Amino acid sequence: MLTFVIRRLLYSVVVLLAASFIIFTFVSVSGDPVAFLRMQPTASEITIQRIEERKHLNDPIPVQYVYWLKDMLTNQFGTTTIGDRPILPDITRVMGHTLQLVIAAELLAILVAVGIGVYSALRQYSVFDYSATTFSFIGLATPVFWLALMLQVLFVYIYQWTGVRIFYVANLSGVDPGTGIHFLLDRAQHLALPVLVLMVASIASYSRYMRASMLEVVNSDYVRTARAKGLPERSVTMRHAFRNALIPLVTIVALNFGALLGGAVVTETVFGLDGMGLYFINALNNGDPYPVMAWLMVTATLVIIFNLVADIAYGYLDPRVRYE
Amino acid sequence: MRKRSMLLLTGAVALVASLIVGPAATAKSERQAAGTVIIGHDQEPVTLNFYITEGNAYTTSLAMNPVLASASVYNQNAKLVPFLVDAAPKIVRANPLTVSFSYKKTAKWSDGRQITGADFVATYRTYMNPNYDITSREGWEDIQSVKANGKKVTVTWKKGKAYAAWDALVATSPMPAHKVAGQNFNDLWRNSIDVASGPFKWQSWQRGTQMVLVKNNQFTAGPKAKVDRVVFRYIPSTPSLFQALNSGEIQVTEPQPQLQIVDIRKNRSKFKVQSGPGYFWEHMDIQFGPKGHAALKKQYVRQAIITGINRNQIKQALYVTPGLVGSAKELPVLQSHIFKPFEQYYQPNWKKWSFSQKKVITMLKAKGCTGGPNTPSASNNNIWSCPQVGKLSFRFTTTTGNQLRQLTFEIAQKQLKSVGIELQARFGPSGTVFGQVLPSGDWDIFMFTWLGGPTSSATSFGLYGCGGDQNYMNYCNKKASNMLQKAQFTPDPNARAKLLNAAEKIMANDVMSVPMYVRPGFLINSTNVKGPVLNPTQQGSTWNAQGWTVS
Repeated sequence: MLTFVIRRLLYSVVVLLAASFIIFTFVSVSGDPVAFLRMQPTASEITIQRIEERKHLNDPIPVQYVYWLKDMLTNQFGTTTIGDRPILPDITRVMGHTLQLVIAAELLAILVAVGIGVYSALRQYSVFDYSATTFSFIGLATPVFWLALMLQVLFVYIYQWTGVRIFYVANLSGVDPGTGIHFLLDRAQHLALPVLVLMVASIASYSRYMRASMLEVVNSDYVRTARAKGLPERSVTMRHAFRNALIPLVTIVALNFGALLGGAVVTETVFGLDGMGLYFINALNNGDPYPVMAWLMVTATLVIIFNLVADIAYGYLDPRVRYE
Repeated sequence: MRKRSMLLLTGAVALVASLIVGPAATAKSERQAAGTVIIGHDQEPVTLNFYITEGNAYTTSLAMNPVLASASVYNQNAKLVPFLVDAAPKIVRANPLTVSFSYKKTAKWSDGRQITGADFVATYRTYMNPNYDITSREGWEDIQSVKANGKKVTVTWKKGKAYAAWDALVATSPMPAHKVAGQNFNDLWRNSIDVASGPFKWQSWQRGTQMVLVKNNQFTAGPKAKVDRVVFRYIPSTPSLFQALNSGEIQVTEPQPQLQIVDIRKNRSKFKVQSGPGYFWEHMDIQFGPKGHAALKKQYVRQAIITGINRNQIKQALYVTPGLVGSAKELPVLQSHIFKPFEQYYQPNWKKWSFSQKKVITMLKAKGCTGGPNTPSASNNNIWSCPQVGKLSFRFTTTTGNQLRQLTFEIAQKQLKSVGIELQARFGPSGTVFGQVLPSGDWDIFMFTWLGGPTSSATSFGLYGCGGDQNYMNYCNKKASNMLQKAQFTPDPNARAKLLNAAEKIMANDVMSVPMYVRPGFLINSTNVKGPVLNPTQQGSTWNAQGWTVS
């Protein structure tokens, strides 16, 4: 097991280095962090040259990459090209916000999806099952940006019509979020719509996995044996079938969670949430490779960690799986 | 079993209750926020220090101008109005240019200290410190001496280097000498600022969400702010900005040109929409250097290009027909590179190039060009070839992902093709086209925006003079260049405008660039906020925030 983990981590370092070089090259070629200065008739050439020299913008890209690598390893991701602003505090802040969004969305999505999946499997080909299947496909097919905008329009309309604000359509907190319970309620009202948007796709996907897995398990020999032993149906379903049916879902959730921590780019942008996704988009728009690379390294590391967690969890939950 | 069900039921009831209580709780906090104006903006400042390159953004000025007030403020007509100074600064001597002004006796920092000439001296020293990333030192570099005597300041420029935009320079927000002394200015006011000279003080900044300014009770240089707070909410998506406006989450915004403005404009009982030309102008530059197309060095070809583009139609299609601006009068066709239509010295120097497709064909035929159409036709595929310079087929470079530029190109391409001139798209990401292609001179026609301001006219030499720093076109007309250079050092605005307009007449005849349109600015406010007035300068809509009221 330990050998497996170490080997996976070593592979990951190589993957990270290769990915970082490719992304660094693309961002450096396509973006110019001092472009906005060049467009200003009065911008000081000396200042532009100082920035270019300080950040080695005139050096070949492999040389720039080495400078970035050195900065990342010795200076906590380094600083932005314009203004030398430390990157780590920003990444830490936006990661905190994304965690709030993703944890809330994933927990609620798992709860709802497991319920739907289990009930659909137990009542296969029932009206509920057909309805859940239909809504799952709609959920999977709905573009995130469209759903986000529609929800905004809907709740703005409700506000204009009733004068009651149920949910906010932008930002992470109100002008005066208050403290204690007021703060929590304010945060909930701001996060509700983005959480709902993320939930829809997750529920649609997870419920299908859960249904398929549950169907496979309820028809297996050991469940039949449990019933033959005379165990109550509830005990058969929850203790013998449900727990085993969860195994594939754990893997999917772990993988999805890792990817989502990189930021729900579209959702965060539409709702103006100061998270990882929005941070990435802003950095990309500014053409500054340093924050883009910081985002990439954090996201890639999380994906690798959660992939590893998924593999380990799978082996832990299913004794038939062995690591070589 | 029953116990579990009860627990689940209780949980569900609590969840529903929280959604009902939530709005009530927030509604209470909103009531408490009376006297607050909430401005929505799609960009967040990176720092509070607007003097350095990192803070050189409109959003920083918008938030910080009411805090670190300018000595004189640009009003809605882009005219300087004394704010912290007693009266408009005066020229004491013409050569060397010497200017004098006095800060008001009532002008004080929020910590109670008097604003004096020492603050302007500190500002000058900070600007000139080579270790600091100051965006522009233009004009400051040519100062010979700055003398302070109490509240009075006398600035003298080097002989023969009379800085034309001296009035804008001395209008700069003074820096507090007692705060900048001994500090690394590049790191100062990065996240917070504990001093103010304007009607508002900085209070808090929740990065990614909002910045809060509160009324500066120590402000005595003018009328105190009428509202308690101004809150800037940062919403990066423009459609969401409009939703936030509709839902009352923000009350004032300066959006990018979007079709939602048309709907908002119709709702007059709830919103007031102001629009008008600003200082950012779109233009098509023509390359005169060795890497440009040989045909573009011929004046008649350049004249044919400008005559073949219907600039009025493009402006109409982009802004007027969709209803973004109230009327065509609000956004006239740009007929000058140097002055903007709302400026006092604006002259329509390029008006002589009115759209005429027949004229283009006649002009090219007269110069011996062959292979083009005999009459303008939308389906024309015949392209002109002219003596010694070949086919009139040009590379057209601009940035990808800008829908307005894309549309401008498509219209211009069709119009020119119907008279036998071909434009070939060479679009690229902004980093590549601005960072590499533009300075290299390896292009034929390049469309982009200059981000100008009230002082841009005075410094036109850099853009159009022979060897100018940002003359990427490699255009050089010695007569015009000499005038532009002289204008740089002509402090009298009337004499300077005369020189600039004379130079532009020559440039217009040369057709070194095609002025397209000035990007309009938009200001929308809920009708419960009174007072916001659109300002075309970097001063932004908060230029008169102290006079705003909210009901």
